[in-house]
Amino acid sequence: MDKRRYFVRKILNAVLTIILVASFNFALFRILPGDPARLLLPKGKQPPEAVEKQRKTFNLDKPMWQQFGLYWGDTLRGRFGMSFSEKRPVTEVVAERIWPTVLLVGVGTIFATVVGMILGVFAGWRRGGAYDVVTTNLGMVLYAMPTFWFGLLMIMLFATKLRWFPTGRMEEPGVELHGLAYGQSLLRHLFLPAFTFAIAYVGEYELIMRSSITGVMKEDFALTARAKGLSENAVLWRHVVPNAMLPTVTIVMMNLGFVMSGAILAEAVFNWPGLGLLSYDSMQKRDYPVMQAVFLIASIAVIVANLIADIMYYYLDPRVHA
Amino acid sequence: MIPRRYRNWVLFWTPFIWLVLELLMYPKDVPLAAGLSAVLKGFFSARIGSYPPWVLVLGALLTAGFGILGLVRKSKARAFSLTLIGIGVVFALWAFLAGGGASGWSAGENVIAYNWVLQTIVVLLGGAAAWLWALGNPERAELTVWNTHQVWKLYRANWQGMVGLGILVFFLSMALLAPFLIDHALLDPNAQITDASGQLLGPYHPPTLSYYNWFGTDQVGQSVLAQFIWSSRISLTVGLLAALMSTVIGAGIGIAAGFYGGWQGEVWMRLTDAFLVIPWLPLAMVLAAAWGQNFFMIIIIIAITSWPGTARVVRSDVLRVRELQFIERARAIGSSNWHIMRKHALPNVMPLIFANLVLVVAIAILSETTLSFLGLGDPLNFSWGTMLHYAWVNGAAGLPAWWYLLPPGIAIVLVVLAFTFIGMAYDEVLDPKLRKREDSGAENRFTARGEAPAVAMGGAGAGGGGGMFTPGQQTDDAMPDFNKPAGGSIGRPEGGGWVGGHIKDDEEGGEE
Repeated sequence: MDKRRYFVRKILNAVLTIILVASFNFALFRILPGDPARLLLPKGKQPPEAVEKQRKTFNLDKPMWQQFGLYWGDTLRGRFGMSFSEKRPVTEVVAERIWPTVLLVGVGTIFATVVGMILGVFAGWRRGGAYDVVTTNLGMVLYAMPTFWFGLLMIMLFATKLRWFPTGRMEEPGVELHGLAYGQSLLRHLFLPAFTFAIAYVGEYELIMRSSITGVMKEDFALTARAKGLSENAVLWRHVVPNAMLPTVTIVMMNLGFVMSGAILAEAVFNWPGLGLLSYDSMQKRDYPVMQAVFLIASIAVIVANLIADIMYYYLDPRVHA
Repeated sequence: MIPRRYRNWVLFWTPFIWLVLELLMYPKDVPLAAGLSAVLKGFFSARIGSYPPWVLVLGALLTAGFGILGLVRKSKARAFSLTLIGIGVVFALWAFLAGGGASGWSAGENVIAYNWVLQTIVVLLGGAAAWLWALGNPERAELTVWNTHQVWKLYRANWQGMVGLGILVFFLSMALLAPFLIDHALLDPNAQITDASGQLLGPYHPPTLSYYNWFGTDQVGQSVLAQFIWSSRISLTVGLLAALMSTVIGAGIGIAAGFYGGWQGEVWMRLTDAFLVIPWLPLAMVLAAAWGQNFFMIIIIIAITSWPGTARVVRSDVLRVRELQFIERARAIGSSNWHIMRKHALPNVMPLIFANLVLVVAIAILSETTLSFLGLGDPLNFSWGTMLHYAWVNGAAGLPAWWYLLPPGIAIVLVVLAFTFIGMAYDEVLDPKLRKREDSGAENRFTARGEAPAVAMGGAGAGGGGGMFTPGQQTDDAMPDFNKPAGGSIGRPEGGGWVGGHIKDDEEGGEE
């Protein structure tokens, strides 16, 4: 297939979807019942002047098509208004929360991928055995388990009972640490939330990998490899696993876009100061400008991750452009 | 004549449905402790059956409309249509009374003496209608019986499905029998429980053998067991209703997208894709925060954030059905699109839709739990998620008050697992290919559903063998996998998602 056409098509698709989602974001706060100007103010006292001022700042006094244009102008320039709980520009509030989330999600995803894949490889390889039955059922249970509940159980066990790890936050309040000590403390704080975040995906990746291995093992080349007398290990690791990895990696990539939901729960439970906690806090304070921004970022993350997965796939699988 | 087995079904299910409805509507404030006569009185009390009037109006319109349609089109079972109209009339009368009678709709109080009588009449008429339908359409009744019997025979052989069914029956009975199991008054904010000597147990008392204290007490000294039992009602109801609504939306859009080719189908598909990439939790949080937190809003929010998965699955199956020969023939003799969709496409994708529905219920229950946990649930109706919310914000994990955290969480895991098992077992019944794959004999049937996996796929990177945990990607211009109507992958890719698909591109890439 024509490479350029493929890429152009994928990128156009992504851009189109981003435009759709951003327009939805615009509509979302205008189709909600109630006056958007009031929605965009803190609950409680809402003097008429403040409402009027709000109407001005968000251009709510203009006709709809004009609002739409202005919204796009602002969004493209990265302006999302003022957070009214923090009295700072939303962009600033959001920017400082991104890195903790990236850290949490990154570590969690790597953990989930590695563990899930290894569990799945052995389950698929020895299908029907005791190990397979146990891990597959475990995968189903992990899959059905609410993330936040698991997080609470972790706190109960490892933070409260055994006191191995702190119950939350990124650092001890009021303690200034530097260098190695800081890194150590960060890791201790990171462990439980990252583990909780990862556990939801371990089950899924395990089941996907298992299913993928099962399929590849039925293919002719796996049979050939066996027939020519390769050892079981060589068949598994040289021939089956690399082929089975491909779809799993793509799924991991695509899931990466959807991490926001997991991040919200893990961060809320563990007080981890990332985007998830930010959106939870702003929901409680009804801080709509922040919620809007986080929503848009989360959506764009999904679309971009999808696009990357598509492009990666093109390079990883020669059959795509054969 | 009616097949005897069909008759037996009607004779069994009519009283069963009646019992379930009565139990659902049983007044909350007549505890078992009040004695058998009080319970019986409560059971037949004036207040039983407090449906909101709009439900009754909807029922009246639907049944009467369907009956009139049957008469107009001169369908075979005339008596059936007439009975439907009869049910519609009863509903209308009921709605009139429930809405406050002649004095107007504003009364709001749904306290009339005849609710349970009317409910009984409606259920009995429903049973009669089923019977009359079978009288008019004996062949179809026979076929239905036969089909169901076959499905059940296959389903029964699947131990996971049976385990799921067992768990589900347990929790459903708990929810239905809640008024008889534990006093609803224990949920009152001031209802702390006491021990045998009348001493207050106090906050976070560990479990003891005393019934109310089986699961200990919460942060204000209330019975966790009472919350647990009553919560099961809300969790299950919200899950079932939200899944139903989501499936109706998803199936409708899926059928439309699959059936209309060209730009119309494309528009529906774009819409689905756009909704699919919207991260559901941030969206649900925005909606719940803005729309307020009550029972119905939660259902609507879950429904509108969870339909795209169903739409995709249904669409790909409709694409398969559309190419079947009998549809071509129907088209050749000049049937309209609408007719084909309704009479040929819908019945053929219906089993798939049903299998999806069961799986969506699991997702909907998890979603409801998540929203409630974040404090977006209905503050007046406890669900398992609400319990976890209170346990969390009141620091049960730091105590640690394991008796407050474990029961709701375990219940959620079990119920979600049960629905997943049932959905997968039913899926396997539908798709003979999944069944035959037990070549090794000892194979675990869980995920033994990967065909040759999604390695040789089209440019869209479109994915894989059908099945729930088979890898695959969702693609925008997918061709159906003709061999595989599996109903696996619906729902949300996030949160440990149900990614994957039975949507598979052409081998050479279904792009151009």
